[in-house]
Amino acid sequence: MRYKNSQISILDGLLLLLLISFCGFIIYRMFWGMNYNWNWSIIPSYLIYSDPETGSWRANSLLQGLITTIKLSIWGMIIAVIVGFVTGLCRTSSKLFFRLLGTGYVSIIRNTPPLVLVFIFYYFISDQIFALVGFEDFVRGLDKSSLGIIAFFFTKPELLTPFLSGTLTLALFQGAYIGEIVRAGIQATDIGQWEASSALGLSRFSQMRDIIMPQAIRTMLPALANEFINTIKWSSIVSIISIQELTFQGIQIMASTQATLEIWITITAMYLVLCLFLSYVVGRIENHLADPEQMKGLTV
Amino acid sequence: MIRTQPKIITLILLSVFIASTVHAAKIQHELTRASVIEQIQKRKILKVGMDIFQPWAMKSKEGKLIGFEIDVATRLAKDMGVKVEFVPTAWSGIIPALLTGKFDVIIGGMGITAKRSFKVNFSIPYDYSGMSILAHKELAKGFDSLDDFNKEDVQIAVKLGTTAAIAAKKYMPNAKFRMFETEPQLYQELRNGNVHAVVASAPRPAYEAIEYKDTLFLPLKDNFTEEPIAFALRKGDPDALAFFNAWITIVEKEGWLKERHDYWFGSKDWIDQVE
Repeated sequence: MRYKNSQISILDGLLLLLLISFCGFIIYRMFWGMNYNWNWSIIPSYLIYSDPETGSWRANSLLQGLITTIKLSIWGMIIAVIVGFVTGLCRTSSKLFFRLLGTGYVSIIRNTPPLVLVFIFYYFISDQIFALVGFEDFVRGLDKSSLGIIAFFFTKPELLTPFLSGTLTLALFQGAYIGEIVRAGIQATDIGQWEASSALGLSRFSQMRDIIMPQAIRTMLPALANEFINTIKWSSIVSIISIQELTFQGIQIMASTQATLEIWITITAMYLVLCLFLSYVVGRIENHLADPEQMKGLTV
Repeated sequence: MIRTQPKIITLILLSVFIASTVHAAKIQHELTRASVIEQIQKRKILKVGMDIFQPWAMKSKEGKLIGFEIDVATRLAKDMGVKVEFVPTAWSGIIPALLTGKFDVIIGGMGITAKRSFKVNFSIPYDYSGMSILAHKELAKGFDSLDDFNKEDVQIAVKLGTTAAIAAKKYMPNAKFRMFETEPQLYQELRNGNVHAVVASAPRPAYEAIEYKDTLFLPLKDNFTEEPIAFALRKGDPDALAFFNAWITIVEKEGWLKERHDYWFGSKDWIDQVE
């Protein structure tokens, strides 16, 4: 991209000045105009602390929350992609039953507020499922090394059930949005590709796997990567069902220390850094895909 | 035919009697087996539901949970010979979470109310708390009784789903109420001068009045309610209820509850651990 004119005009300068003074006013009101005792000194100790017994540094609640948020989003996204692909394939299926199934799921999820879905799913559905298969007793019965693996990939064993409920809830509603991306990707593939592969005598499964999907995935990837950033942002919603992710941990520390604004600002910064980094990665992926030379391997 | 009938009747009665005795024994057995106490013993873990509430339960700088409730639950688990596991839960959803089995018992400074008693069973009280009112110096200038606050143009902030909300509505029915999900929000609204007063469990309002003494004050010297605080557990579990009641009686007579209460509510020796 090339900019036509890089010179700053008087109007630009004026607008910039206005913007700066507006931000300055907000910051002034926040830090001096508001009746609030700032106490930033507590933030570092809630990020990391040194263990009094061993003297080693450990992640405290806020950092643990961030890690949980990342794990929650990654697992949520993996399941959501699977759910989304199944939904997308259903939506573009030649059979009416599958189309109705896919459409039903997508319209239910897209036309209800996520907050309500989270509540219903957590209290009424996930609980019944996990209780039915005796999941909790199974986890508690595991030996130490498998518990260590679970703690590394998911979360502490005692928090596993709520963690998985939260992940499933997140995946369930993100799956509907990803389903739409997949559907759009498949439908955006040139109809000639279907006709040509059909003329070659390929089965529908083979058409989808070898001809359509490789091209569709290319169109889908940037949107999918964006959806991952959305998953991170939406993950804060599961704080209402007491999943120990960043927002929930933040609220708990606020109640412990009364340092409300400091913690909200810290949490905002943590989300911002995480999502900005991912946006940068997504940007790189988009550039990469825009170059047809790089795509040779994918399109065949 | 006629002679055999009484025999048959006796036989039927006898079998019914035996069956019912067996049945009764079975019910007793089932009750014991289904009790949460039995489950805790089997699992070797006591799962406690609570929410962060100064100084009932707080997260310390060392990543640990501390507070009055934490002491009570830890001692309870120790006396039962099991490990304790805390499940921090947002207050507005804590009863549904108990009912759907996310934890065994709520030890979270929960006040007994008739409405809550329909949904859960309460143990005998292990502590008493009261509602305190904290007001804005300019907005509530000269207010020194509940009647002063009981006016239509007075706004009061309370935390959603707490007994503070119930008490405030009972004593000041004419005031306008604003509900918030967490405690810090209440005090921020008050400091910003958006509401006249906050009603909350003692002693937090008193701490707040000291920290922001230029803008906030306590219009009433004492708490205006006294509320029994108890464990809450799922209904239909007489075994667990009996066990918790017995335990509370023991530690109360020991003087341990009072000693812990005085440490967390009477002093601020613990403040360095959180702030």
